Amino acid sequence: MSPPPRPWAASGLVWVALALVLAGALAFSVARSSGTLTPSERAAALDADLKCPSCESISVADSTAATAASVRQVVLARVRQGQSDQQIEQFLVSRYGPSILLRPPVSGLTALVWVVPLLAGAGGLGGLGLFFWRRRRPVVVGVTAADRALVERALAEDAGGGAPSRSGP
Amino acid sequence: MSDVTPDTAPGVGARRGRHRARWIAGFVLVVLAALVGLLATRPPATATEVYTPLLGKPAPGISGKTLAGARFDLAADKGRWVVVNFFASWCPPCQEEEPELVSFAFQHRSAGDAALVGVDCCGDATSSARDFEASAGATWPALVDPGGQIALQYGVRDPPETFLISPSGEVVAHFDSGVTVAFLDQQLTAARAAGL
Repeated sequence: MSPPPRPWAASGLVWVALALVLAGALAFSVARSSGTLTPSERAAALDADLKCPSCESISVADSTAATAASVRQVVLARVRQGQSDQQIEQFLVSRYGPSILLRPPVSGLTALVWVVPLLAGAGGLGGLGLFFWRRRRPVVVGVTAADRALVERALAEDAGGGAPSRSGP
Repeated sequence: MSDVTPDTAPGVGARRGRHRARWIAGFVLVVLAALVGLLATRPPATATEVYTPLLGKPAPGISGKTLAGARFDLAADKGRWVVVNFFASWCPPCQEEEPELVSFAFQHRSAGDAALVGVDCCGDATSSARDFEASAGATWPALVDPGGQIALQYGVRDPPETFLISPSGEVVAHFDSGVTVAFLDQQLTAARAAGL
Protein backbone atom coordinates (compact mmCIF):
# COMPACT_ATOMS: atom_id res chain seq x y z
CA MET A 1 0.00 0.00 0.00
CA SER A 2 1.41 3.40 -1.02
CA PRO A 3 1.83 6.11 1.59
CA PRO A 4 -0.70 8.98 1.55
CA PRO A 5 0.48 12.03 -0.47
CA ARG A 6 2.15 14.67 1.55
CA PRO A 7 0.07 17.91 1.75
CA TRP A 8 2.98 20.11 0.63
CA ALA A 9 3.34 18.04 -2.50
CA ALA A 10 -0.35 18.49 -3.38
CA SER A 11 -0.22 22.26 -2.85
CA GLY A 12 3.00 22.41 -4.88
CA LEU A 13 1.25 20.78 -7.82
CA VAL A 14 -1.54 23.37 -7.61
CA TRP A 15 1.03 26.18 -7.73
CA VAL A 16 2.75 24.63 -10.72
CA ALA A 17 -0.61 24.32 -12.52
CA LEU A 18 -1.45 27.94 -11.74
CA ALA A 19 1.94 29.11 -13.01
CA LEU A 20 1.45 27.13 -16.24
CA VAL A 21 -2.01 28.69 -16.81
CA LEU A 22 -0.62 32.16 -16.15
CA ALA A 23 2.32 31.64 -18.50
CA GLY A 24 -0.04 30.32 -21.18
CA ALA A 25 -2.33 33.37 -20.87
CA LEU A 26 0.66 35.72 -21.04
CA ALA A 27 2.09 33.95 -24.08
CA PHE A 28 -1.33 34.13 -25.78
CA SER A 29 -1.73 37.86 -25.13
CA VAL A 30 1.85 38.59 -26.26
CA ALA A 31 1.28 36.58 -29.43
CA ARG A 32 -1.91 38.51 -30.14
CA SER A 33 -0.24 41.89 -29.66
CA SER A 34 2.96 41.15 -31.56
CA GLY A 35 1.78 41.67 -35.11
CA THR A 36 -0.07 38.44 -35.72
CA LEU A 37 -3.40 40.28 -36.13
CA THR A 38 -5.08 40.70 -39.48
CA PRO A 39 -5.81 44.31 -40.60
CA SER A 40 -9.49 43.88 -39.70
CA GLU A 41 -8.60 42.56 -36.23
CA ARG A 42 -6.16 45.44 -35.69
CA ALA A 43 -8.75 47.96 -36.84
CA ALA A 44 -11.37 46.39 -34.56
CA ALA A 45 -8.97 46.55 -31.60
CA LEU A 46 -8.31 50.25 -32.34
CA ASP A 47 -12.04 50.96 -32.77
CA ALA A 48 -12.66 49.56 -29.29
CA ASP A 49 -10.29 52.17 -27.82
CA LEU A 50 -11.81 55.13 -29.68
CA LYS A 51 -14.81 57.12 -28.50
CA CYS A 52 -17.70 57.56 -30.89
CA PRO A 53 -17.47 61.31 -31.78
CA SER A 54 -21.21 62.00 -31.57
CA CYS A 55 -22.08 59.71 -28.64
CA GLU A 56 -21.77 60.07 -24.89
CA SER A 57 -19.45 57.24 -23.91
CA ILE A 58 -19.68 54.47 -26.46
CA SER A 59 -16.71 53.17 -28.37
CA VAL A 60 -16.50 53.49 -32.13
CA ALA A 61 -16.69 49.68 -32.26
CA ASP A 62 -20.00 49.59 -30.39
CA SER A 63 -21.73 52.58 -31.97
CA THR A 64 -24.07 52.58 -34.96
CA ALA A 65 -23.77 56.38 -35.42
CA ALA A 66 -22.72 57.71 -38.83
CA THR A 67 -19.69 59.45 -37.29
CA ALA A 68 -18.52 56.16 -35.76
CA ALA A 69 -18.92 54.43 -39.12
CA SER A 70 -16.73 57.13 -40.72
CA VAL A 71 -14.05 56.60 -38.07
CA ARG A 72 -14.17 52.82 -38.54
CA GLN A 73 -13.73 53.35 -42.29
CA VAL A 74 -10.71 55.64 -41.89
CA VAL A 75 -9.10 53.40 -39.27
CA LEU A 76 -9.34 50.33 -41.51
CA ALA A 77 -8.05 52.29 -44.52
CA ARG A 78 -5.05 53.58 -42.55
CA VAL A 79 -4.30 50.13 -41.08
CA ARG A 80 -4.26 48.77 -44.62
CA GLN A 81 -1.89 51.59 -45.64
CA GLY A 82 0.49 50.24 -42.99
CA GLN A 83 0.20 53.07 -40.45
CA SER A 84 0.97 52.28 -36.83
CA ASP A 85 -1.69 52.43 -34.10
CA GLN A 86 -0.02 55.58 -32.77
CA GLN A 87 -0.09 57.29 -36.17
CA ILE A 88 -3.80 56.53 -36.60
CA GLU A 89 -4.61 57.77 -33.09
CA GLN A 90 -2.53 60.92 -33.69
CA PHE A 91 -4.46 61.65 -36.88
CA LEU A 92 -7.82 61.30 -35.10
CA VAL A 93 -6.62 63.45 -32.18
CA SER A 94 -5.56 66.11 -34.72
CA ARG A 95 -9.19 66.24 -35.87
CA TYR A 96 -11.31 65.59 -32.78
CA GLY A 97 -8.91 66.36 -29.94
CA PRO A 98 -7.72 63.94 -27.24
CA SER A 99 -11.28 63.21 -26.13
CA ILE A 100 -11.55 60.80 -29.07
CA LEU A 101 -9.34 58.38 -27.09
CA LEU A 102 -11.14 56.22 -24.57
CA ARG A 103 -7.78 55.50 -22.90
CA PRO A 104 -6.26 58.83 -21.87
CA PRO A 105 -2.58 59.23 -22.80
CA VAL A 106 0.02 58.91 -20.03
CA SER A 107 1.25 62.50 -20.26
CA GLY A 108 0.59 65.87 -18.69
CA LEU A 109 -2.49 66.20 -16.51
CA THR A 110 -4.12 63.09 -17.96
CA ALA A 111 -1.26 61.06 -16.45
CA LEU A 112 -2.99 61.66 -13.12
CA VAL A 113 -5.82 59.41 -14.28
CA TRP A 114 -3.33 56.54 -14.35
CA VAL A 115 -1.05 57.56 -11.50
CA VAL A 116 -3.62 58.49 -8.83
CA PRO A 117 -5.36 55.07 -8.72
CA LEU A 118 -1.96 53.35 -8.61
CA LEU A 119 -0.80 55.60 -5.78
CA ALA A 120 -4.10 55.14 -3.94
CA GLY A 121 -3.83 51.36 -4.33
CA ALA A 122 -0.21 51.34 -3.15
CA GLY A 123 -1.10 53.60 -0.22
CA GLY A 124 -4.02 51.38 0.75
CA LEU A 125 -1.90 48.22 0.60
CA GLY A 126 0.88 49.93 2.57
CA GLY A 127 -1.59 51.05 5.22
CA LEU A 128 -3.04 47.57 5.48
CA GLY A 129 0.44 46.05 5.77
CA LEU A 130 1.38 48.54 8.47
CA PHE A 131 -1.81 47.79 10.35
CA PHE A 132 -1.18 44.01 10.38
CA TRP A 133 2.49 44.48 11.17
CA ARG A 134 1.62 46.57 14.21
CA ARG A 135 -0.95 44.02 15.34
CA ARG A 136 1.56 41.15 15.12
CA ARG A 137 4.37 43.03 16.85
CA PRO A 138 4.68 42.05 20.55
CA VAL A 139 3.70 44.91 22.79
CA VAL A 140 6.56 45.86 25.07
CA VAL A 141 5.46 47.90 28.02
CA GLY A 142 8.23 49.66 29.83
CA VAL A 143 7.75 49.72 33.63
CA THR A 144 9.44 52.62 35.32
CA ALA A 145 10.60 52.87 38.94
CA ALA A 146 7.71 55.26 39.64
CA ASP A 147 5.26 52.60 38.37
CA ARG A 148 6.79 49.99 40.68
CA ALA A 149 6.64 52.35 43.65
CA LEU A 150 3.00 53.09 42.90
CA VAL A 151 2.09 49.40 42.78
CA GLU A 152 4.03 48.62 45.95
CA ARG A 153 2.30 51.46 47.77
CA ALA A 154 -1.11 50.26 46.63
CA LEU A 155 -0.35 46.70 47.71
CA ALA A 156 0.88 47.92 51.10
CA GLU A 157 -2.30 49.93 51.59
CA ASP A 158 -4.34 46.96 50.55
CA ALA A 159 -2.55 44.70 53.05
CA GLY A 160 -2.78 47.30 55.82
CA GLY A 161 -6.55 47.67 55.34
CA GLY A 162 -7.07 43.95 56.02
CA ALA A 163 -8.12 43.15 52.56
CA PRO A 164 -7.29 39.67 51.33
CA SER A 165 -3.95 39.35 49.64
CA ARG A 166 -4.15 39.13 45.82
CA SER A 167 -1.15 36.89 45.68
CA GLY A 168 -2.98 34.11 47.48
CA PRO A 169 -2.17 32.27 50.67
CA MET B 1 -76.83 57.59 20.51
CA SER B 2 -74.13 56.88 17.92
CA ASP B 3 -70.42 56.49 18.91
CA VAL B 4 -69.27 57.69 15.56
CA THR B 5 -67.19 60.84 15.85
CA PRO B 6 -66.84 63.28 12.94
CA ASP B 7 -63.29 61.99 12.31
CA THR B 8 -64.31 58.39 11.98
CA ALA B 9 -67.65 58.88 10.26
CA PRO B 10 -67.98 56.72 7.18
CA GLY B 11 -66.89 58.58 4.05
CA VAL B 12 -64.81 61.24 5.84
CA GLY B 13 -61.52 59.42 5.17
CA ALA B 14 -62.42 58.91 1.53
CA ARG B 15 -63.37 62.58 1.14
CA ARG B 16 -60.02 63.61 2.68
CA GLY B 17 -58.18 61.28 0.31
CA ARG B 18 -59.92 62.79 -2.71
CA HIS B 19 -59.19 66.28 -1.41
CA ARG B 20 -55.47 65.46 -1.03
CA ALA B 21 -55.37 63.85 -4.48
CA ARG B 22 -56.89 67.01 -5.99
CA TRP B 23 -54.19 69.13 -4.32
CA ILE B 24 -51.40 66.86 -5.56
CA ALA B 25 -52.86 66.79 -9.09
CA GLY B 26 -53.16 70.59 -9.04
CA PHE B 27 -49.56 70.96 -7.89
CA VAL B 28 -48.27 68.62 -10.62
CA LEU B 29 -50.34 70.54 -13.20
CA VAL B 30 -48.85 73.88 -12.10
CA VAL B 31 -45.29 72.48 -12.24
CA LEU B 32 -45.89 71.04 -15.72
CA ALA B 33 -47.42 74.31 -16.96
CA ALA B 34 -44.40 76.23 -15.62
CA LEU B 35 -42.03 73.80 -17.34
CA VAL B 36 -43.86 74.03 -20.67
CA GLY B 37 -43.90 77.84 -20.40
CA LEU B 38 -40.17 77.92 -19.64
CA LEU B 39 -39.28 75.68 -22.58
CA ALA B 40 -41.60 77.48 -24.99
CA THR B 41 -40.25 80.93 -24.18
CA ARG B 42 -36.58 79.89 -24.03
CA PRO B 43 -34.47 81.50 -26.73
CA PRO B 44 -33.22 79.03 -29.36
CA ALA B 45 -29.76 77.54 -28.91
CA THR B 46 -27.24 80.08 -30.11
CA ALA B 47 -23.93 79.41 -31.73
CA THR B 48 -20.85 79.35 -29.57
CA GLU B 49 -17.23 79.32 -30.57
CA VAL B 50 -15.65 76.04 -29.56
CA TYR B 51 -12.11 74.71 -29.71
CA THR B 52 -10.96 72.56 -32.57
CA PRO B 53 -7.47 71.13 -33.04
CA LEU B 54 -7.62 72.61 -36.55
CA LEU B 55 -7.47 76.20 -35.27
CA GLY B 56 -4.65 78.08 -37.00
CA LYS B 57 -3.96 75.13 -39.29
CA PRO B 58 -4.62 74.83 -43.03
CA ALA B 59 -8.23 73.91 -43.65
CA PRO B 60 -8.57 70.31 -44.84
CA GLY B 61 -9.41 70.17 -48.52
CA ILE B 62 -13.01 69.93 -49.59
CA SER B 63 -13.71 68.70 -53.07
CA GLY B 64 -16.32 66.57 -54.71
CA LYS B 65 -19.80 66.70 -56.11
CA THR B 66 -22.47 69.09 -54.94
CA LEU B 67 -26.08 68.10 -54.35
CA ALA B 68 -26.82 69.75 -57.72
CA GLY B 69 -24.28 67.47 -59.40
CA ALA B 70 -21.60 70.12 -60.06
CA ARG B 71 -17.91 69.75 -59.19
CA PHE B 72 -16.57 71.80 -56.30
CA ASP B 73 -13.09 72.48 -54.92
CA LEU B 74 -12.49 74.66 -51.87
CA ALA B 75 -9.06 75.59 -53.22
CA ALA B 76 -10.81 77.75 -55.84
CA ASP B 77 -12.08 80.01 -53.03
CA LYS B 78 -8.61 80.83 -51.71
CA GLY B 79 -8.20 84.57 -51.31
CA ARG B 80 -11.55 85.23 -49.68
CA TRP B 81 -13.32 84.30 -46.47
CA VAL B 82 -15.18 81.02 -46.56
CA VAL B 83 -17.84 79.78 -44.16
CA VAL B 84 -18.08 75.99 -44.22
CA ASN B 85 -21.34 74.74 -42.75
CA PHE B 86 -21.86 71.06 -41.91
CA PHE B 87 -25.55 70.19 -41.83
CA ALA B 88 -28.06 67.38 -42.08
CA SER B 89 -31.67 67.70 -43.16
CA TRP B 90 -32.87 65.67 -40.14
CA CYS B 91 -31.28 68.03 -37.60
CA PRO B 92 -33.71 70.63 -36.10
CA PRO B 93 -31.02 73.31 -35.37
CA CYS B 94 -29.92 72.99 -39.02
CA GLN B 95 -33.52 73.64 -40.09
CA GLU B 96 -33.63 76.68 -37.77
CA GLU B 97 -30.40 78.20 -39.09
CA GLU B 98 -31.16 77.57 -42.77
CA PRO B 99 -33.08 80.88 -43.36
CA GLU B 100 -30.17 82.72 -41.67
CA LEU B 101 -27.69 81.07 -44.02
CA VAL B 102 -29.87 82.00 -46.99
CA SER B 103 -29.71 85.67 -45.89
CA PHE B 104 -25.98 85.49 -45.21
CA ALA B 105 -25.26 83.96 -48.62
CA PHE B 106 -27.40 86.55 -50.37
CA GLN B 107 -25.79 89.52 -48.60
CA HIS B 108 -22.23 88.36 -49.08
CA ARG B 109 -22.63 87.12 -52.61
CA SER B 110 -23.52 90.63 -53.70
CA ALA B 111 -20.61 92.05 -51.65
CA GLY B 112 -18.29 89.30 -52.91
CA ASP B 113 -16.30 89.25 -49.65
CA ALA B 114 -17.25 85.82 -48.27
CA ALA B 115 -18.44 82.52 -49.67
CA LEU B 116 -20.66 79.92 -48.04
CA VAL B 117 -20.15 76.21 -48.58
CA GLY B 118 -22.38 73.48 -47.19
CA VAL B 119 -21.44 69.87 -46.50
CA ASP B 120 -24.28 67.41 -46.09
CA CYS B 121 -23.00 65.10 -43.41
CA CYS B 122 -23.68 62.66 -40.66
CA GLY B 123 -25.66 59.95 -42.35
CA ASP B 124 -28.08 62.26 -44.15
CA ALA B 125 -29.75 60.85 -47.26
CA THR B 126 -28.71 62.82 -50.35
CA SER B 127 -32.29 63.02 -51.66
CA SER B 128 -33.51 64.45 -48.31
CA ALA B 129 -30.65 66.97 -48.30
CA ARG B 130 -31.45 68.00 -51.87
CA ASP B 131 -35.14 68.58 -50.97
CA PHE B 132 -34.10 70.42 -47.80
CA GLU B 133 -31.79 72.81 -49.66
CA ALA B 134 -34.26 73.37 -52.49
CA SER B 135 -37.20 74.11 -50.18
CA ALA B 136 -35.09 76.61 -48.21
CA GLY B 137 -33.92 78.36 -51.36
CA ALA B 138 -30.25 77.63 -50.75
CA THR B 139 -28.08 78.96 -53.56
CA TRP B 140 -24.62 78.06 -52.28
CA PRO B 141 -22.78 74.84 -53.17
CA ALA B 142 -23.61 72.01 -50.77
CA LEU B 143 -21.43 68.95 -51.07
CA VAL B 144 -22.31 65.31 -50.78
CA ASP B 145 -20.07 63.64 -48.17
CA PRO B 146 -19.94 59.95 -48.97
CA GLY B 147 -18.78 57.96 -45.95
CA GLY B 148 -18.63 61.13 -43.88
CA GLN B 149 -14.95 61.61 -44.76
CA ILE B 150 -15.11 65.41 -45.18
CA ALA B 151 -16.86 65.70 -41.80
CA LEU B 152 -14.19 63.47 -40.26
CA GLN B 153 -11.38 65.63 -41.68
CA TYR B 154 -12.98 68.58 -39.83
CA GLY B 155 -13.69 66.58 -36.65
CA VAL B 156 -17.43 67.19 -36.91
CA ARG B 157 -19.37 65.50 -34.12
CA ASP B 158 -22.91 66.77 -34.27
CA PRO B 159 -24.41 69.09 -36.90
CA PRO B 160 -24.77 71.99 -37.32
CA GLU B 161 -21.10 72.90 -37.04
CA THR B 162 -19.57 75.83 -38.89
CA PHE B 163 -15.96 76.71 -39.65
CA LEU B 164 -14.59 80.09 -40.67
CA ILE B 165 -11.68 79.89 -43.08
CA SER B 166 -9.41 82.86 -43.73
CA PRO B 167 -8.39 84.07 -47.20
CA SER B 168 -5.02 82.38 -46.61
CA GLY B 169 -6.81 79.05 -46.13
CA GLU B 170 -6.47 78.68 -42.35
CA VAL B 171 -9.20 77.61 -39.95
CA VAL B 172 -9.77 80.64 -37.72
CA ALA B 173 -12.95 79.68 -35.86
CA HIS B 174 -15.31 76.81 -35.21
CA PHE B 175 -18.92 77.31 -34.13
CA ASP B 176 -21.29 74.84 -32.55
CA SER B 177 -25.11 75.01 -32.86
CA GLY B 178 -27.10 77.13 -35.28
CA VAL B 179 -25.57 80.37 -36.54
CA THR B 180 -27.33 83.62 -37.43
CA VAL B 181 -26.41 86.34 -39.95
CA ALA B 182 -25.60 88.73 -37.11
CA PHE B 183 -23.37 86.16 -35.41
CA LEU B 184 -21.47 85.30 -38.59
CA ASP B 185 -21.02 88.97 -39.51
CA GLN B 186 -19.72 89.69 -36.03
CA GLN B 187 -17.23 86.81 -36.30
CA LEU B 188 -16.10 87.93 -39.74
CA THR B 189 -15.59 91.51 -38.53
CA ALA B 190 -13.62 90.29 -35.50
CA ALA B 191 -11.43 88.02 -37.63
CA ARG B 192 -10.72 90.82 -40.11
CA ALA B 193 -9.88 93.20 -37.26
CA ALA B 194 -7.47 90.62 -35.84
CA GLY B 195 -5.66 90.67 -39.15
CA LEU B 196 -6.24 87.00 -39.85
